[in-house]
Amino acid sequence: MKRIALALAFAALVVCAGCGKKQQQTGQVTEAPGKKKWVIGMSQCNLGEPWRVQMNKDIEEAAKQHADEIEVIFKDAQNKTEVQQAQVREFIQMGVDLIIISPKEARPLTKPVAEAYQKGIPVIVLDRKVEGDQYTCFIGADNVKIGREAGKYLVKLLGGKGKVVELKGLMTSTPGQERHKGFMEGIAGSQIEIIFDADCQWLEPIAQREMQSALARFPQIDAVYAHNDPSAHGAYLAARQEGKGREKSIKFIGIDALPHEGQRYVKEGILTATFEYPTGGKEAIETALKILKGEQVPKNITLGTRIYTKENVEQGGEPL
Amino acid sequence: MDRGKLHRLLEKLNDYRGVIALVVVFVLGIIFSPRALDTGLPIFLSWQTQLAILYEYSEYGLLATGMTLVILTGGIDLSVGSVLGLSAVLFSLLTIGYGWGVAPAIGAVLLTGLACGLVNGSLIARFKMQPFVATLAMMTAARGAAKLIAGGIKVQPGGQPWYAMQEGTPPFFLWMTSALPGIGVQPSTLIFLFCILVMAALVRYTSYGRWLYAIGGNEEAARLSGIRVGAVKVLTYALCSMFAAMAGVLNACRQDLGDTEAGMTYELDAIAAVVIGGTSLMGGRGGMMFTLIGVLIMAYINKILSLNAVELAPRMVIQGIIITIAVLIQQKRGRSS
Repeated sequence: MKRIALALAFAALVVCAGCGKKQQQTGQVTEAPGKKKWVIGMSQCNLGEPWRVQMNKDIEEAAKQHADEIEVIFKDAQNKTEVQQAQVREFIQMGVDLIIISPKEARPLTKPVAEAYQKGIPVIVLDRKVEGDQYTCFIGADNVKIGREAGKYLVKLLGGKGKVVELKGLMTSTPGQERHKGFMEGIAGSQIEIIFDADCQWLEPIAQREMQSALARFPQIDAVYAHNDPSAHGAYLAARQEGKGREKSIKFIGIDALPHEGQRYVKEGILTATFEYPTGGKEAIETALKILKGEQVPKNITLGTRIYTKENVEQGGEPL
Repeated sequence: MDRGKLHRLLEKLNDYRGVIALVVVFVLGIIFSPRALDTGLPIFLSWQTQLAILYEYSEYGLLATGMTLVILTGGIDLSVGSVLGLSAVLFSLLTIGYGWGVAPAIGAVLLTGLACGLVNGSLIARFKMQPFVATLAMMTAARGAAKLIAGGIKVQPGGQPWYAMQEGTPPFFLWMTSALPGIGVQPSTLIFLFCILVMAALVRYTSYGRWLYAIGGNEEAARLSGIRVGAVKVLTYALCSMFAAMAGVLNACRQDLGDTEAGMTYELDAIAAVVIGGTSLMGGRGGMMFTLIGVLIMAYINKILSLNAVELAPRMVIQGIIITIAVLIQQKRGRSS
């Protein structure tokens, strides 16, 4: 059984390699750039997270729009740095036309990315940075801005005054620190008070447990600001399972706004608002096409955010 | 009081070390508890908080119940967290996705748990694989199976266009997690308490219980005395996985969805609870009521730290220290007897 599978995999590889060669040859002969298909290698650091699944989906959908021009090969590094390093080198060996990478960690991936860049393969770095400047373009969102928008929204929502619980993401990670920093900037000058906070490590079950403690301690809670939607959802469940009906009076606010998570929770009235943390998948493909066609692109592209509330969720949110 | 009497008294106290530790932690809880803003009473002491503690730890409790049986035989089961995850996903998929009734869905989930346990048990009893290795393989495989059947997403209403349920919450999920009128306890909590008490009686008063201790104490001697060691082991791992499957149902109800990552590293918490209670990892010594104490100690510590909003890093250090102390106490007991 195993042998058959191995043989099949090997055969597939041979066929693929053959196809690749043929395409290159025809491209050279006819010299019609419009007909040549560019191959893009995409290395995703961890497909265990829904947000990253969404990123790949966004890339896939954007690539489908240009199916006659590009082809994307997806690889999943399964949250292992050494696997991702190998993947970048595999792409270099394959001779892909462009690499998109969403790195697990900056430092260890700086070198492989630089190798590709120096060999003339353009590299687009998505979401998390690598060190130095040996890459073509970085596309990422601004967590401080998202946190700040969430803070400003909460000030408006509560009329400038209220008691808030903050359920943080992993505070040793940059997104957690930035979402907190931005939020504090957003509520600065108002009479909003953070009465309870906890590091929930992005995990819903932990958020649920921590929220129970907050509920036990404070008879009055006006709002919950969670660093991601699953944590906000967990907080809502804790309030509902308390059995005092407080889930109706407390406003829950989350971040990420994935279609099946945050956006759905807003639609169902569980969350009051969620702020999009864009994956940049679509922008990556658009930028890739520009690079491949020889156009200039900026070194840094910062993505905006969108707010989703009950009023605008059906229309796809509102840009901020 | 002469020396002999004192010695006997101390020995008696020795058996209740776990209870004493529990009382100590409980008192610490009261001392360090923040006071309610409206009544001024320690929040930790309130009936609501006590029930919340039991409720929040019911999943760990079920895992620890099964784990105790396995550890009594001198084995270990690393797959319980993954089986929990697989069961949570499967239960959500059957009820939310395919629109099955609750009873057949729970039946299917328990059967899946049984299957996982039978595989574990047979690999260990029949093919003489080490429990650590066999259940490590199951841990990986079951987690993979959970991701496979979920299709890479969290299973919740509206997750896929073909799901039978497109919005809202299944009534059974609500029922399991809401306090029953009158007694104020969630059905999830009752299931855990029922399971651990039944198993405590089983371990204490039936031949099955005696066989567990015999195998854990000296497997060869147990075999020579006519105990069907293999069969008992298979049954034990099967029971352990079925408790994990039930915990998966509880997890789905609590989280309102089937999360493929559910139960990740829970096996370690379950083992810790068993060890903190005082059941020996070497097998043959300990008991189910010890585990109940171990679960409560862990739950109390967690609640105290959480109520005081202690930061993550010191919290982890404190938890580590407490586990170490518990193990040290257990070693001391081993030497004295």
